[in-house]
Amino acid sequence: MKRALLIGLYACGGLLLLAPFWFGDRYANLAIRMMIAALFASAFNLLWRQARLLSFGHGVYFGAGMFAVVHLMRAIEAGLNVPLILAPLVGALVSLVVGLVFGFVATLRSGAYFSMITLAIAELVYSLGPRWQGLFGGEAGISSMRMPSMGLNFATLNQVYLIVLLWCMVGFGILWFFAKTPLGQIAFALGDNEQRLRFLGYRTHAVKVVLFALSAALSGLAGGLLGITAENVDYTVFGPASSAAPVIQTFIGGADMLLGPALGATLLTGFGNIFSDVTRLWLLYQGIAFVLVVLFLPGGIAGSFATGKRVSWGNAAVNAFAVLLSSCSLIFICESAAVLLSDAYMSRRAGQGGAWVDYRLFNLDLAPLSPLVWGLPLLVGLIGVALSWKLSESGRTA
Amino acid sequence: MTYLLSSLVNGLVFGLLLFMVSAGLTLIFGMMGVLNFAHSSLYMLGAYLGYSIGRWTGFWPALLFAPLVVALIGAFIERFMLRRVHRHGHAQELLLTFGLALIIHEVVKLFYGPYPVEYAVPAELAQTAFSANGLNFPLYRLFIGAVAVSMFVCLFLLMKFTRVGLTVRAALSQPQMVEALGHNVGLVFLFVFAVGAGLAGLAGAVAGAFYPTGPNMADDLGSIVFVVVVVGGLGSLEGALIASLAIGLLTTLTVGLDWTLAGALAPVGLSEWASSIGGPFTITLSSLTGSLPFIIMLLVLLIRPAGLMGERA
Repeated sequence: MKRALLIGLYACGGLLLLAPFWFGDRYANLAIRMMIAALFASAFNLLWRQARLLSFGHGVYFGAGMFAVVHLMRAIEAGLNVPLILAPLVGALVSLVVGLVFGFVATLRSGAYFSMITLAIAELVYSLGPRWQGLFGGEAGISSMRMPSMGLNFATLNQVYLIVLLWCMVGFGILWFFAKTPLGQIAFALGDNEQRLRFLGYRTHAVKVVLFALSAALSGLAGGLLGITAENVDYTVFGPASSAAPVIQTFIGGADMLLGPALGATLLTGFGNIFSDVTRLWLLYQGIAFVLVVLFLPGGIAGSFATGKRVSWGNAAVNAFAVLLSSCSLIFICESAAVLLSDAYMSRRAGQGGAWVDYRLFNLDLAPLSPLVWGLPLLVGLIGVALSWKLSESGRTA
Repeated sequence: MTYLLSSLVNGLVFGLLLFMVSAGLTLIFGMMGVLNFAHSSLYMLGAYLGYSIGRWTGFWPALLFAPLVVALIGAFIERFMLRRVHRHGHAQELLLTFGLALIIHEVVKLFYGPYPVEYAVPAELAQTAFSANGLNFPLYRLFIGAVAVSMFVCLFLLMKFTRVGLTVRAALSQPQMVEALGHNVGLVFLFVFAVGAGLAGLAGAVAGAFYPTGPNMADDLGSIVFVVVVVGGLGSLEGALIASLAIGLLTTLTVGLDWTLAGALAPVGLSEWASSIGGPFTITLSSLTGSLPFIIMLLVLLIRPAGLMGERA
């Protein structure tokens, strides 16, 4: 019975993964972005989960893969005979080499030094990007077209989705398998106690370099997949934003589980897709969510489900309600501030002789100086915080 | 000659500015083991607060209040956030400050918009200090340098000759022992974090009037400050000073040089071959100014991983 249930569950999961193939381009695009982000974050987390190395410059390896694939696609356009499905592999290989070189330098040190060095390497590449016209295409970047191969024309994204799905499966398979290999186990030991491992005779630097290169290669695979999807790339892919994304997604999702980063990446890419159309404050909310998770949920979302601590459904529901209350109030206050500080509102005020004219938000006409507009959300938010606080206090004493 | 002189002074001033920001960072790291990613964001906050307060009170009072406010923000971060995640380890603290840097960046964009604000040098300092061979040297640069030097002297005297400095230095190396001797180490940490934040805020308030005050100033400076700290050796004030000056001088001195690798190969007769290849061979040194600090850092790491003044790793 249990077995049948499991098989059914897997079948549902498989169908879900294939579903974007039959939906329109927009959903295929979203699904592709989610899977690429998930693979990228998981590749980043290979370093952290096992060896406790926190990289702030993984955008370099993602970008290297992306550039390699777009260059390859240009070569295919010019007549090179390589099936498109193998292109991401080239991205992975290029990133592997780049990762070996930079990884050798970065892993000379551990801890905070490692983080700073990876960050500086990313800055180095980012600052070189616009200078090296031939390789990175300057400010405009380089672009290409997907050529038909293997009987598919790849004109629509749902055909591309199949390639992405395939390679993401391979990537996750490698990550899952690597943790079980002897080298993967040594990498775990490296995270626990590097000095002891060195005393035992292991060449820890070599292990770190290999681990770094593998992580870079999988990031390059993810970048290559994005290269195929987007068909163009410029040097901004090396910028701070693309290095920060896997960090944020990983720790919100839960860094100590294999699939935690994938969860975080999927959620944040999905929310980002919805919210960045509606509000320009999406990055602010993402930052606040990240800090709150670091402060109050050190295991991330996945970790908080897997602590083994029994939480009653009632408590969980009340807590969710409290979080909902405070986020609604936070969003209301931030969006109000965004409207009131915008240039458009300033010029409206100037038109009315400097009076605090009403502003429109969520289909409501609101008076900026009314105590109700600020007091009510503040009160609701405080109730939410107090509820959550009370619950965590009672959880500690119990 | 004039070029060399003005570049030297410019480089020195930029180096001193770098030192003002990196001093707090390296102190906080040496003492608490916390790599504060939000440090350059506090520098940016100092600049914006200096601008905002300055609109109400004028430039000089703002120069006092902006760093104070930033120091208070720093104290809040230490007391209510860092201390909370401390038991989860240094990586969690680093992540927290990383997240705070993201939030500060977005909040600044929310309040001041995505473009630089007009934070101007006050009239009494907007003059030329001296001219040499037709090149005018702004007085304000000297002012930035003077603020940095006096800050360094104050910090040095405070650390070397007062009881507070003694406790701080002791807590730097042996926090448990200092605590056992009855000192409130938590308070010392709070103090150091607030002072470090305040210094960054002061640097921002002073420099923001001269350099552009925009939402990217934290990112632009932040990574260079990390370079300074790594090159100097984490936790070492002297190392930070030397590294700041070296990087400040190098970046300003190379701005005017159009050397290329192809040119460097000229003595062995490979110049034309290298030029025909293009790519990295024809990039001029002047256009690499932004990348230079990172190249230096990689070299230092390869030769001397602990940094100039750091202890052996």
